[in-house]
Amino acid sequence: MNHLVKYFRTQISQDPDVASAAAAIRSLLEFLKRDQSETLLGLRENLTEAIRRLGEADSSVAVSSGGELFLRFITLTSLEHLDFSQSKNLLVERGELFLNKISLSRNKVAKLCHTFIKDGAKILTHSSSRVVLKVLENAAADKKRFSVYVTESQPDSAGKLMAEKLRRLNIPVTVILDAAVGYIMEKVNLVIVGAEGVVESGGIINKIGTYQLAVCSKAHNKPFYVVAESFKFVRLFPLNQQDVPAQFKYKADILKTAEDLDKEHPMIDYTPPSLITLLFTDLGVLTPSAVSDELIKIYL
Amino acid sequence: MPVTDKEVALSERIEAFLAELKRGGSGAGTLRGSGETARETTALLRRITGQAQWSSAGDLMEIIRKEGRRMMATQPSETTVGNMVRRVLKIIREEYARLRGSSEVTDQQESLHQLLTSGGLSEENFGQHFKDLRANVIEAINELLTELEATTDHIAMQALEHIHSNEVIMTIGRSRTVEAFLKDAALKRKFHVIVAECAPFCQGHEMATSLSEAGIETTVIADAAIFAVMSRVNKVIIGTQTVLANGGLRAVNGTHTLALAARHHSTPLIVCAPMFKLSPQFHNEEDTFHKFVSPHEVLPFTEGEILSKVNVYCPVFDYVPPELITLFISNIGGNAPSYTYRLMSELYHPEDHEL
Repeated sequence: MNHLVKYFRTQISQDPDVASAAAAIRSLLEFLKRDQSETLLGLRENLTEAIRRLGEADSSVAVSSGGELFLRFITLTSLEHLDFSQSKNLLVERGELFLNKISLSRNKVAKLCHTFIKDGAKILTHSSSRVVLKVLENAAADKKRFSVYVTESQPDSAGKLMAEKLRRLNIPVTVILDAAVGYIMEKVNLVIVGAEGVVESGGIINKIGTYQLAVCSKAHNKPFYVVAESFKFVRLFPLNQQDVPAQFKYKADILKTAEDLDKEHPMIDYTPPSLITLLFTDLGVLTPSAVSDELIKIYL
Repeated sequence: MPVTDKEVALSERIEAFLAELKRGGSGAGTLRGSGETARETTALLRRITGQAQWSSAGDLMEIIRKEGRRMMATQPSETTVGNMVRRVLKIIREEYARLRGSSEVTDQQESLHQLLTSGGLSEENFGQHFKDLRANVIEAINELLTELEATTDHIAMQALEHIHSNEVIMTIGRSRTVEAFLKDAALKRKFHVIVAECAPFCQGHEMATSLSEAGIETTVIADAAIFAVMSRVNKVIIGTQTVLANGGLRAVNGTHTLALAARHHSTPLIVCAPMFKLSPQFHNEEDTFHKFVSPHEVLPFTEGEILSKVNVYCPVFDYVPPELITLFISNIGGNAPSYTYRLMSELYHPEDHEL
């Protein structure tokens, strides 16, 4: 089990560009290869325990959704064969294929989204998202001229990192205060954000401050686009901010050490689907109402 | 390859169709309605299927895609051409899958489920030859043609559910679908219609004449009066040129104004649009979304002095966002704008969105 968490952390540190859900799925696949159980039930139990351990190491929504997807994948695939050892080989093979496909999903998303960025556009984004970076990279490679505003995104100042990466791509970028979102919104043409998780209602869970951004862009009638790969679809249906489970809101170490969670600052918030214009995923361009259809297809 | 007489005749037909498309187009002040365009496109595609040389479904799809691209390039604003091409491509895929014995064509659709369960068979090259394929595809296209012929009637049949006695209905410009819709309701109910004239082509005038000939009390108003009159309107019923993938519309200019006025007064906005107008495009297409025609209608060339100092535009279309629309009435029934994605996935295959 400890190997699992160590492997996961090595994955993340070796390739900082990989999505955390993809790293989680790869670690689980490694775990699967080394697992010694003789029955499907034993395998599932071990995997559930492994996913729980991963969740303790990194409490983000993405890792949880990646883990659930992998578990679902095991169930669906192993139903095809009655003999467990045959199943196991098939599982490993399909697992590798699955990993290959999802490594391509970020490119698919970027290809879909960059056509929505017009020449001379002013884009506002929040915090640091690798998918948004890829989209902007593609748009820049397409010789579009645009400028970007990034929110600083406290408490970890992730926005400054994003600005650095954008400067390296020669895209004009300005870092703004989180509080300056309302001020800057009238200048902006569109808002693009990433997502840590896409929930069943079509809303998203993302870094704290995204909800504010969405409300502001709705008030100014600016399109609010979300870019996310399909493995981030998660089976949650929060009705408001309090409904989001506490395990996702706070970082893993705070969850373990804090005495009163009410006094801690949450790291994520929930943006309802009514504020989102379109979602760009590797399954295509979806309206928020189409997301639940996709989730139903996989989980039911 | 020797060019046979049949092939010459076929390419002549295609050229004739392209020429008509280029000249006519749909939109302001033309003779051809989009229903006719859809029917002619489908008939032409049936002819291509019957007469062209092909041995496997993949070849046929390539031929149809090529011709489809040519047709779409001739008149980009006429989306029904592209939509029909995509419908036929989906028909070919379905017939191929049926002949091959695959259980579900939906296996080919992208979804999370397919990502997890497929064993790498994502490359379907449609290479197998089936001798029944030609006949099956032609039969399916014939069914499509019958559906197309009946669309206006199916929409008009639903009129009584939506229009009640003594109601005031507002519409804009001229839509054959809405005309049939209102005339059908007028057979049983008495109501009043206000038509916005839709400058600068003023097709609203023809609409009003046609409606009053059917015995409906009609009033024509100028576009500027739309907001003023809206408080007395019970429903707004409009047609559209295209229904976009997000549930928005590409409709005749002035429709966005009408939609905003309706939203302000909380008046329901009903769009009568047959299924062949549903297009998998979004409104981000800079070059092909808008169409501009001669600004002569807006500012005549006789106003010489002003012309050199002013930019004059005459756009044909408007974008209406899906939040302003209450209901879509199509030949398969009434749907909410948020359901458009589902209708699209039933009509077209995702790989055909980009021809």
